Amino acid sequence: MFSHEMKEKIKQFAKEQAPYYLEEAEMTYMEKVRRKTGETKSKLMAKLAKFKSRSETAMEAENDMILYMSDYMKDLMEQGLSEQEAFEQAKKELKFRSETTKSADLQERIVAHYHHMDIADYEAVGLFYGAFVFLGISIGALIGFIGSGGWEMFLSGGWIRTLIGAIIGFLIGTGLGLLSNAVIVLKRKK
Amino acid sequence: MLKGILEGIVLEIISRGEIYGYEITKKLHALGFQGIAEATVYALLLRLEKNKLVHITKKPSDMGPPRKFYTLNERGFEELAAFWAKWDFLSERIHLLRTNGGEKNV
Repeated sequence: MFSHEMKEKIKQFAKEQAPYYLEEAEMTYMEKVRRKTGETKSKLMAKLAKFKSRSETAMEAENDMILYMSDYMKDLMEQGLSEQEAFEQAKKELKFRSETTKSADLQERIVAHYHHMDIADYEAVGLFYGAFVFLGISIGALIGFIGSGGWEMFLSGGWIRTLIGAIIGFLIGTGLGLLSNAVIVLKRKK
Repeated sequence: MLKGILEGIVLEIISRGEIYGYEITKKLHALGFQGIAEATVYALLLRLEKNKLVHITKKPSDMGPPRKFYTLNERGFEELAAFWAKWDFLSERIHLLRTNGGEKNV
């Protein structure tokens, strides 16, 4: 029915697309089981991973798609489309579009992140930022003030050095705050 | 809700006798559901299989891989019965809403 080249194209398309559909079907199934058992997705996935033969399931889904696509293309060709036109049309129709799997996964990761994130971590990060910024501004402004020549010079244009010192201090403080944030994140990962 | 309705329709089609994937799409088109994307039916069949609602028989095909033929298993028939029960309830309420504004005794 189809040329050898077209058969290869169909096979390639099915190989690319079938896993997305399979993943979505598995996700829907997992959601149902999870709702019944109240277990988290990761726990169920770990359990199921031991029993299922992924490659065999994937191969079956791929074969299903090859047949489905071929049937559809045959239908289109009977309506007058060329082999290539039918392939393009079938590709367009059968390309996986749903974002359900990805968005569900993302949502799950966000929930897990906030579930495991300790409020004390947020507090510590905020306090580090605040403390470093205050210290930076104070030290920078003081160095600028003393370096410019004290009170008298401050009034006659020396304030600019105090201001520059404060700005540099603010930047250093923010930098140190970022560093402390990174340290906290790395510690949490361990 | 539409997703559930399409699943019910496909279950009903399968309940009428052994059928393969694209044949279901053709039946849907013949029923007037031309707007249903090919991908939707393919994905739905995978879900029915995953949820163990269908029995599958593989037969050789001229395309290469063996072709899957679907029939409903016991769980599939139960799911179909549940779908029709929901459908009857829904259609009765909608009819009531349309004719009497939702009041039973008018």
